[in-house]
Amino acid sequence: MKRFFLVVIISGLVFLLTGQLSSAQSVPGNYGNIPDSLMAYDKYQKAYKYHFIEPTPFLGAGREKKEPVDLTEVRIGFLGPLEGSIIRPLGEQMMQGAILAIEEANKRGGYKGMPFKLMIHNDVGLWGAAANELVKMDDEGVWAWIGTIDDTNSHVAIRAALKLEIPNINPANPDPTFTETNIPWVLRNIPDDRQSSYSLVKYMTVEKGYKRIAMMRANNRYGRVGVLHFNRSATRLGFPPVIEERFNDTETDFTSQLERIKRTSPDAILIWGNARESGLIVKQIRELGMNVPICGSDRMVNPEFLEAAGKYAEGVVMTCQYNPTANDPKLKKFQADYRKRFSMESDAFSAHAYDAINMIILAINKAGLNRALILDVLTDYKTFKDWKGVTGEVIFDATYNNIRPIFMAKVINGKIEFSPAPKFEKENVIYRKASRN
Amino acid sequence: MKKNSKTRYIVLLSLLILVVVAAISLPRLFKSEKRALSGESRQSGGIDLSEYPTLESFERAERDDIISSYSDTMPVYGNWKSYTMKDGLPSDKCYTVRIDGDRVLVGTHDGLAVLEKGKWRTYTTEDGLAHNGVVSIDVSALTGDVWLATLGGLNRWSGGKFETFTQFNSGMPNDLVYNVFCYGKDIWVATGGGAGVYDTNKKDWKIFTEMNAPMHEPWTYALTAGDGKVWIAAWGGGVIEYNMQTEQFRDYVDPDGFMEIDLLPDDGLIHDITTATAYSDSILWVSTYFGMSRYDGKNWNGYFDHDSGLAGNFINFVRAEGPVVFVCSDKGLSSFNGKTWITYKKNDEKPDGKALVYRGARVVKEIPLTPSISHNYVIGVDAEDDVLWVATSSGVSRGERIN
Repeated sequence: MKRFFLVVIISGLVFLLTGQLSSAQSVPGNYGNIPDSLMAYDKYQKAYKYHFIEPTPFLGAGREKKEPVDLTEVRIGFLGPLEGSIIRPLGEQMMQGAILAIEEANKRGGYKGMPFKLMIHNDVGLWGAAANELVKMDDEGVWAWIGTIDDTNSHVAIRAALKLEIPNINPANPDPTFTETNIPWVLRNIPDDRQSSYSLVKYMTVEKGYKRIAMMRANNRYGRVGVLHFNRSATRLGFPPVIEERFNDTETDFTSQLERIKRTSPDAILIWGNARESGLIVKQIRELGMNVPICGSDRMVNPEFLEAAGKYAEGVVMTCQYNPTANDPKLKKFQADYRKRFSMESDAFSAHAYDAINMIILAINKAGLNRALILDVLTDYKTFKDWKGVTGEVIFDATYNNIRPIFMAKVINGKIEFSPAPKFEKENVIYRKASRN
Repeated sequence: MKKNSKTRYIVLLSLLILVVVAAISLPRLFKSEKRALSGESRQSGGIDLSEYPTLESFERAERDDIISSYSDTMPVYGNWKSYTMKDGLPSDKCYTVRIDGDRVLVGTHDGLAVLEKGKWRTYTTEDGLAHNGVVSIDVSALTGDVWLATLGGLNRWSGGKFETFTQFNSGMPNDLVYNVFCYGKDIWVATGGGAGVYDTNKKDWKIFTEMNAPMHEPWTYALTAGDGKVWIAAWGGGVIEYNMQTEQFRDYVDPDGFMEIDLLPDDGLIHDITTATAYSDSILWVSTYFGMSRYDGKNWNGYFDHDSGLAGNFINFVRAEGPVVFVCSDKGLSSFNGKTWITYKKNDEKPDGKALVYRGARVVKEIPLTPSISHNYVIGVDAEDDVLWVATSSGVSRGERIN
């Protein structure tokens, strides 16, 4: 009889425990999906402190604030490059994805009958102006906001978001340091350049065996921070890049940089930059007689790249944060609706913006109109555990950064084909994740 | 014999004079040596540092700096009284607090609140504030002018009038001013568009960004100054030190170079995401969202919540007064003099709380406090004499020394 009760109690405990764990999002492995073999200093020295093991929740006041009673619309902020920027086309895609999500939510009845309204702000880009746009959003009474693409403007804006306590989902900036600021008000639903770098390092050095890799990157923060983890990781595996050349936005003649690269006799070239410049670089690499494999960053997954590179785009391998050709009815519907609404194809920026706005709307519907409570829903590791957007699932690490698997994109017969990105095998986990309930 | 007695008298008199002169001059000599060692020499190269007082140095000179005597015995503050909107504040969200003589200035999300003669008065944009969100306050020790960093510009409050400085009317780096610091005639600001210094004599701005300082980006969050140097918390760029004498910069960054780890505990700045700097008694204190660092000009020390009495690693602000640093974290207020930690925490859902006395990471004493600070999410602090003011996410609190 005693044994029976013991079995019942143990079974009950196991049931409760597994039920509890499965109700929360499990976060496997190291922070940021860092492969064990690429952990900083790990071969030689264990770190005194590992950050980002546990999330940093917002512990301030504000949850007690009552929902306003005099509103006629529910405002959500948007910050993006809409004028005065060379990445304006990306900003417009992001804005259109957000507009589509808002329009659909309003067709469903909005929030308690009130329409959602997108408060659109240009991030301009000079002298920290993005921060001033956040102050305007606070004055406008937005409940959450999405944006932006440019690394610098994103960083400037989130410091203001912390001060003003406005939840943010970033659908477009891949800078790994963005969420590594530890600001509890910031999430990112687009996988970052850590994921791209690890996949490219695995593909180039382990799978393809390229030992002498040359790098050609944009001479700005996007390029500098983008290649950072590729550089470090390739070096840690014993293949430090043989040369790192830079180019400026809007540059069209890359001969001098490419001639220097040619003299290093690389096995492969990695490009990290915007679509147009990257396309021209690919073209000029081939015209200089270099027939080495070319890889690149996700911004090259763009019709503008194919147009600029022409026939030379063939065989170029890139990363992409989602699979736009996936046979997913939700994605197909979004793509069709987007095409119908804006007379153009959607891209990674519009798709992730669409998902980000839908996440915010879901959180508002669940929490009500209270910024801290909206943030609580977004960061509870439960609400979005089984949620799937048009770009795929959302797996937040301890910095609320989406570390779901990404894709490789290869130009075959003039079209981009997608396949799952290679991953490093797990050896032992240095970051021991506590279960989140 | 008579001659011998006269000589002896002269020798004795000379010795007496020598002793008296030595008694007067030696302590002065030692004092000036001590001041020079502690970096308080008034002359540094071509700059006369006596022309660069801060509110703290002014108070120290005027009032013999009571807090300086706390190098061995840490002050413990109790008898807390908290103020919220119910008491007359324009908002419960208090960003900053500054003691200015007999009055207390509190920067809130919805205006400047001033406590004078027991009554709160609020100032807003209608009175001339650049923006209602007041996030940092300092007072010029030279002129008594109050400088207010707001979400929409910088204000000088002088003679009852607010003068507004913005990016467009004055050449300031950016309108969102996170921090303001008065250093003599110079008014330093930290903004998202770079650091700036306004020379109140010449009435012009100098701006420091990645173009003319060792910053990767022009993001600055806070700053402090002393002994002819300015330390800028440059967000992802660690700490930037500006030497006023040489007009040269140098930077201090986390030596391991990785955001996700701190490789060694005392190898340098603990993280590049810096949130505030404070300087006093020749010690530089640097806060981050990952813990705190201390620099004595030679060695760095790092402090985390697991190896010290630090209330939490997410630190919004630090202010140093004499040998004591006050640390504003998301989990309470801590104070530290290099030996002893005192951490103040409010109990959940209750007005009472406690002061925890630590040696290292070990709690050696728990002092119940009824009531306690108004909220554990602490954003600003200021101390003077035996009084401590704390700005929190939900009100502002005043504590008195109880030991």
